[in-house]
Amino acid sequence: MLDLLKPHDPDVVTFAESVAGCEGVSGVNIVLVETDKEVQNVKLTIEGDSIPVDSVHETVEDLGGTVHSIDEVVCGDILVEESETPQD
Amino acid sequence: MFSRLKRLLRALERDDVRSISRRYFISNGFDGALTSVGVAVGSYLSGVPDGLTVFKIGIGAAIGLGTSGVWSVWEIERAEKRAELKRIEHAMLTDLDETQIQRQKAGARQVNALMSGMGPIIGIVFPMVPFLFEGATLSMRDTTLISIGVAVAILFIFGAYLADISEQNWIVAGARMGLAGIVVAVLNIILPG
Repeated sequence: MLDLLKPHDPDVVTFAESVAGCEGVSGVNIVLVETDKEVQNVKLTIEGDSIPVDSVHETVEDLGGTVHSIDEVVCGDILVEESETPQD
Repeated sequence: MFSRLKRLLRALERDDVRSISRRYFISNGFDGALTSVGVAVGSYLSGVPDGLTVFKIGIGAAIGLGTSGVWSVWEIERAEKRAELKRIEHAMLTDLDETQIQRQKAGARQVNALMSGMGPIIGIVFPMVPFLFEGATLSMRDTTLISIGVAVAILFIFGAYLADISEQNWIVAGARMGLAGIVVAVLNIILPG
């Protein structure tokens, strides 16, 4: 799960299609978090068996976006959900 | 070459690129058509003896206005699109050189400049064509009148096209644009010189 900053143009559809086109990516979800005058903050969720992180980064940057942070990563043979802690 | 053509066609699919290109095309085409009326009437009134000479003068005007259309829009759009990119870069806090957004803007600029140059060329060359037929069958007076007619028809088409995209009455809009051609012809006749 990535936190991205992108210009308004290209739109989220183009963004989603381009990232989904990366080899190893099975599916993509983009949610608009915040819209500013010139930019948009979006949450990009990518699923796939072997997600090529560098290739996704390159695609995002080529589209004019910037990866703020990678907020969640799940890997391994089984799907591990985030655990609740007393602090939560 | 092929990739450049693809980029231009992709740019043409964008509404904002089409809208700006349309404005440049019509605006400069309007200039071109009115210039051709001026050239035609001015040549006839000043006694240019043959149609080929008028045609050559017209082509000279088309080259001038066409180059002006491409060159000025190239520079205008370079500055405008650069300013847009800088604004986004400032908001993004990143360099957007060599990104798709920068390539898109470059493609848009090329389409804008091309359409801007095509407008006056169409607006001048077509009205000048009747002068090629001056000679045995058509007199200078006939070819001048036909040339004005062609220019007015082009202006009418521009007006009708604008009416079509803005859902106005195409006959009224076309006539309003076409009237400009007749006004220029009359002004050429009544003004001294």
